[in-house]
Amino acid sequence: MEIKYKVNRLQTTNEIRPLVDKHWADLRTAKERGEKVAWASGPSFIFAYAMGMKCHFMAGYSAYCGGIGAGEEVLKVAELAGDLPESCSYHRLHMGMGEAVARGIPINPQAILPMPDLMVAGRLCPEMSHYAEGLNRRFGVRVLPIDLPGPYSKDDMPRIREFVYRQFKEVVIPTFEEVCGKPFDYDRMSEILRILKEVALLRNKCWEFFKDKPSRWTLWDYGVSIAPVFYLMGNPAGITYYEKLLKELQERREKDIPAVAPDGEKYRLYWDGWLPWAFLGKFMRKFIPNGAVVLCGRYPWEFFPHPELIDPEHPVESWADLYYGMESHLTYSFSPKGTIDLIGELIEDYSIDGLVMFSSKTCRVMNLAQPEVIDVLDKKYGVPGVIVEGDMIDSAMISDAQIETRLQALFEMIDGRRKRK
Amino acid sequence: MAIVSGVDVGSLCTKTVILNGDGEILSFDIIRSGHYYQGAADESIENALKTAGLKRQDISYILGTGYGRSSISQADSEVTEITCHARGAKKLFPEVRTVSDIGGQDSKVIGIGEGGIVNNFVMNDKCAAGTGRFLEVMASALSVDIDEMGKLYFASQNKLEVSSMCTVFAESEVISLFAQGHMKADIAAGIAHAIARRIIGMVGQVGLKDEVVMSGGVAKNAGVVCAIEERLKVKLSVAQEPQIVGALGAAIIASERV
Repeated sequence: MEIKYKVNRLQTTNEIRPLVDKHWADLRTAKERGEKVAWASGPSFIFAYAMGMKCHFMAGYSAYCGGIGAGEEVLKVAELAGDLPESCSYHRLHMGMGEAVARGIPINPQAILPMPDLMVAGRLCPEMSHYAEGLNRRFGVRVLPIDLPGPYSKDDMPRIREFVYRQFKEVVIPTFEEVCGKPFDYDRMSEILRILKEVALLRNKCWEFFKDKPSRWTLWDYGVSIAPVFYLMGNPAGITYYEKLLKELQERREKDIPAVAPDGEKYRLYWDGWLPWAFLGKFMRKFIPNGAVVLCGRYPWEFFPHPELIDPEHPVESWADLYYGMESHLTYSFSPKGTIDLIGELIEDYSIDGLVMFSSKTCRVMNLAQPEVIDVLDKKYGVPGVIVEGDMIDSAMISDAQIETRLQALFEMIDGRRKRK
Repeated sequence: MAIVSGVDVGSLCTKTVILNGDGEILSFDIIRSGHYYQGAADESIENALKTAGLKRQDISYILGTGYGRSSISQADSEVTEITCHARGAKKLFPEVRTVSDIGGQDSKVIGIGEGGIVNNFVMNDKCAAGTGRFLEVMASALSVDIDEMGKLYFASQNKLEVSSMCTVFAESEVISLFAQGHMKADIAAGIAHAIARRIIGMVGQVGLKDEVVMSGGVAKNAGVVCAIEERLKVKLSVAQEPQIVGALGAAIIASERV
């Protein structure tokens, strides 16, 4: 008889929305209170937070717009303003928001942000340069570009770590001091890191419940819980949130409640690439009826997977180490070898049956070599994978039937291999 | 043993295969899908039943596949065309390791492991380049029908390069080649190689392993088959009726589910 799968929703995740809404509401009204505002891409927003600025993070805003369903209307304004539909949808989203305000085009008021006093462009990809340049050219935003090179191998890490650390010390911090008219607040940065460490340690305990068979929660649950280790960092509410989440997951384990009713998942999946912020529900509705759950992924694992390495006593050094230290695989997991190493570890740790390689049409940073990655990992671990094309927020890049066919084919490949065993 | 059927509702054509209890093909049918997939499936099943001299109640199990698989109201279950093409090709060519299927509006290359299971696959269903639709547009630009276009390939003395990947641009390129006074046969050969180039790239992603089976409607175009063979440097195996490979695979899986 065919099993009717359905998701067992967590209660704690309902508590994230008020925290997130407050963050964005504070940001929207910051200028009215005479507060300074920064925007950031890459790992630079912590410096703004340390200076008491309200700060918006590029991907965080996109996730928020996806969550409140404002992505489409803002992207349409960008198109109207001449932004190419093939360019990064995060970039377009920001340009669309700025153009909507400048041209008086009505959009969801929750999606409107004040233009920043400083935009720190941590350049992880060429598109971020265009994003920063666009903000400066079109809206007169002051931009501070910094380079965040991707390592090829671990041998590159010490050199790049020093390069990035010096940018933090010699360029980023002095610029924030100039913009804010006060010395950099190292104590506040230490405090933010102390809270982040506590939150991420709790989060890592929660990750352990992905290892349960059946799993107690899904990557999508974690996706909506990312903010406390992301743009809500330094907010003690994150500690309370993850304490509650951990407790709920422990209760699920004690009562043997799976993430997927009635008896747990049939397929345990890995997710590569960005999370499809505007389409989390759409994908969930394709996974769950098939008894599939996504349990881990490269992008969600980039949020400080080794909190034990955070050293609040040496905040700037520690911040550089988190991204480029030899022990942290945060940027290394974007390198060709690091990708293979990390996914391999996740396959083993979380007993993964199949790989879903999400290939964003407008941001290719994580798409490179995905076919080769599938091939190498299949040979090593015997786990099949498929490439699913789409976008983080742009629905023009998402095709239901194409996603459906690829996912169903993945499940059939897993079934075929199980039968052969 | 039960009589079963596989129905492959593709974007351009709907195909039905009926198998007897010994796994032998009793009949098959191919019709245009049109815009009403459920109706096309019903009509194709009816046609295949008529050819086989059977009634609907004689069929124990119907398995649907293809892009319109969820529209087949008579189907007992559905499986993707990827698995079905692999199973169909395995039945017809037991040594198959790679399937290249070029359908009306998509193309796919499937790597096949032991027992006919799918090891990996790549699909192009985002653009018309390298699909049957591309071939139709080019045939129209050349003012020939598809069959004639296949034959023209072999009359070519000087194969031209059609470099555009986009169907619209390729059509303009073909018109400009005409304007430059090039022969129809040479342009047709260039078009066949443009499709072949697209497929070779996909084969490269999956990994070429002999024996290679070509399925789908475009496999009826001898020029394209020859162009792919030239580029891959392997002989392609083509079924007598390459369009029904997916429906055959669906019928085989149906026979296992009765």
